[in-house]
Amino acid sequence: MSPDIPGEGDLWRSSWEAAVDGAVAVVDCREEIPCNPCEEACPTGAIRVGPDICAAPRFDPQACNGCGRCVALCPGMAVFLLDRREKSGFARVTVPYEMGERPVEGEEVQVVDGEGKALTGGKILKIRALGGGAPTLLVTVRVPESVALKVRGVRYRLMERDGFREVDKLPSLADYPLCRCEDVPLERVRDILRTGLKSLPSLRRASRVGLGYCQGMFCQSSLRQELAEATGREGEEIGSFRVRPPVRPVKLGFLGGGNA
Amino acid sequence: MNLHEESRPLVVVGAGPAGLCAAMEAAGAGLPPLVLDEGSQGGGQLVKQIHRFFGSREHGAGKRGFEIAVELVSGCLEGGAEIRLGHRVLGFFRDGRLLVDGGEGVFLLRPGATILATGAVERSFPFPGWTLPGVMGAGAAQTLVNLHGVLPGKRALMVGAGNVGLIVAYQLLQAGMEVAGVIEVSRRVGGYLVHAERLRREGVPLFLRHRVVAAEGGKEVESVLVEDMETGALKRFLVDTLCLAVGMAPQAELAAMRGCRLVHVPELGGFLPWHDREMRTDHPGVYVAGDLAGVEEASVAMDEGRLAGLAAARDAGVLDPGKAAARMREIGARLELLRGGPFGEPRRRAKERLCSLPGSARGREDGDRVRRKGRLKKR
Ligand SMILES: Cc1cc2nc3c(=O)[nH]c(=O)nc-3n(C[C@H](O)[C@H](O)[C@H](O)COP(=O)(O)OP(=O)(O)OC[C@H]3O[C@@H](n4cnc5c(N)ncnc54)[C@H](O)[C@@H]3O)c2cc1C
Ligand code: SF4
Ligand code: SF4
Repeated sequence: MSPDIPGEGDLWRSSWEAAVDGAVAVVDCREEIPCNPCEEACPTGAIRVGPDICAAPRFDPQACNGCGRCVALCPGMAVFLLDRREKSGFARVTVPYEMGERPVEGEEVQVVDGEGKALTGGKILKIRALGGGAPTLLVTVRVPESVALKVRGVRYRLMERDGFREVDKLPSLADYPLCRCEDVPLERVRDILRTGLKSLPSLRRASRVGLGYCQGMFCQSSLRQELAEATGREGEEIGSFRVRPPVRPVKLGFLGGGNA
Repeated sequence: MNLHEESRPLVVVGAGPAGLCAAMEAAGAGLPPLVLDEGSQGGGQLVKQIHRFFGSREHGAGKRGFEIAVELVSGCLEGGAEIRLGHRVLGFFRDGRLLVDGGEGVFLLRPGATILATGAVERSFPFPGWTLPGVMGAGAAQTLVNLHGVLPGKRALMVGAGNVGLIVAYQLLQAGMEVAGVIEVSRRVGGYLVHAERLRREGVPLFLRHRVVAAEGGKEVESVLVEDMETGALKRFLVDTLCLAVGMAPQAELAAMRGCRLVHVPELGGFLPWHDREMRTDHPGVYVAGDLAGVEEASVAMDEGRLAGLAAARDAGVLDPGKAAARMREIGARLELLRGGPFGEPRRRAKERLCSLPGSARGREDGDRVRRKGRLKKR
């Protein structure tokens, strides 16, 4: 292992080494997910997923010409370009960019790592729009080589870190509706359950949960959950609401055939 | 009640990726369908997806969701299918007729065959303050920002680190909102790592083993109280929007009304219509596809739609069984691959279990008896 690969050790060694001759891809995609646009995008066959679409992509830097098509088309935004040909202690890194704020060539931006922490400031050398349909911007920044492999993005906005306050004591919480259409409080449902009611239809009738406007679209799963907890049964044993037309709210006169 | 009635050889309910692919395949096989959707655009979930999609070329991967939607709609129309938007299907009666609200009035459809591709609905769960304005499904927030160009608020907290939660949180950032974090009850991120990392590099923290305690505020959400489930520590996030991405459930009402057998499969989103490998339900002439047949992904929905379209055309006698079988094998092999890997495997097994259950009326009776017996024993 060569000690001069900063940061991520051996993971991107071959990309790091090939990058002295010009831009090559750095592929940061290690999970088995059903995806292969990188392979489809690549004109040289440098990225391959193979017939098993869930395989993680394999990358051959020798075959890569640095065109950046994979960077633009990867839905996970998990491919970057690294270019070390300057050999001045600085590298050029290209990242995909899809945020609202428009980057400008020549501008200094904040360059961030995978956790969103600022690594350094970097000058935007080049911006390209690539990819069919609505394109993705490829932003190339110049950064010190020592951080180059850690770069995962450029950012304009600074998010407030730790955007929460610790709270010592749980405030008293009032009862709340389980069913919003018929405004049935959770405690009322639990009271009914304590009477020993065990079937979903009778619980529905007794509590009115699910008999409102939404026909149970929002509350059915909550009611089934309460019933599951009270009876220890679940899934198919509990069953689901009986469905009657209409499945969407509609005025009765309208249904009668009369047109509004 | 004297309603206008129309007959059609094939009706597809739902113009999402599943319904559109079913329609295209059936039309190509010589059975041009009528496709109904209550939305104002064809494409289902795809129309609000601005991110590039996973999958392979056959599924439009690498393109943005709304671009795939446009392609599927034009493919359908060129193939000879008729698409009627703004049409809500209100009922599916046991005699096989559909009750449709066409906007101008209600009418009946008598289909030779019906493919249901009604997709899934977002789940919700109750907690103190869940009815305050500002609490919404992640899909609703996505519709607001991507379709209507309206921000639901300034600063949001996302509940659920599955793919939907991660993707929508990213899209809220793209639209100009702040995202204070993503909280998740489980120990692991449920969605793909690449989606989680995309979000983290924007400085959005993920809080695993955290749960919502309450949404707080007078007239609308002003803050959200969250508990660290490991330590019991409480955190209060100052946000005006709380998005819930806690799963989807198949929208099986129409199938249930028709009398199709429903089976409970937790890995696929809950209750869904039983079906075989060719997407046939236990009712002849009724097919299902897409998220309705198990919540998975658009790529799977497309291929299941294709299977349903082929099966309907073959069963109607317009497609040669040999040709149908060959094409189905090709699609089936692709589905098998899509359901590989650690994410697909549990769904593949659940589908297999579902398809191997008896689906016929006889099988159903037997199943009932077994279940009843089981319950007796338990008592
Ligand atoms: C945020 C998000 C991101 C996603 N990203 C990806 C991704 O990157 N890759 C991927 O493969 N998948 C992705 N998916 C999943 C994908 O969108 C769904 O799996 C897919 O859309 C399911 O297709 P469908 O046709 O079954 O249902 P839908 O797309 O939901 O379509 C169902 C249609 O039926 C209509 N309908 C329902 N009931 C009625 C009725 N009674 N009358 C008339 N019309 C009706 C609806 O209007 C809708 O248009 C994502 C989903 C979400 C929510
Ligand atoms: S940069 Fe171009 S040549 Fe290199 S892997 Fe990507 S698509 Fe292939
Ligand atoms: S396109 Fe991106 S996310 Fe998909 S396999 Fe290739 S590198 Fe991974």
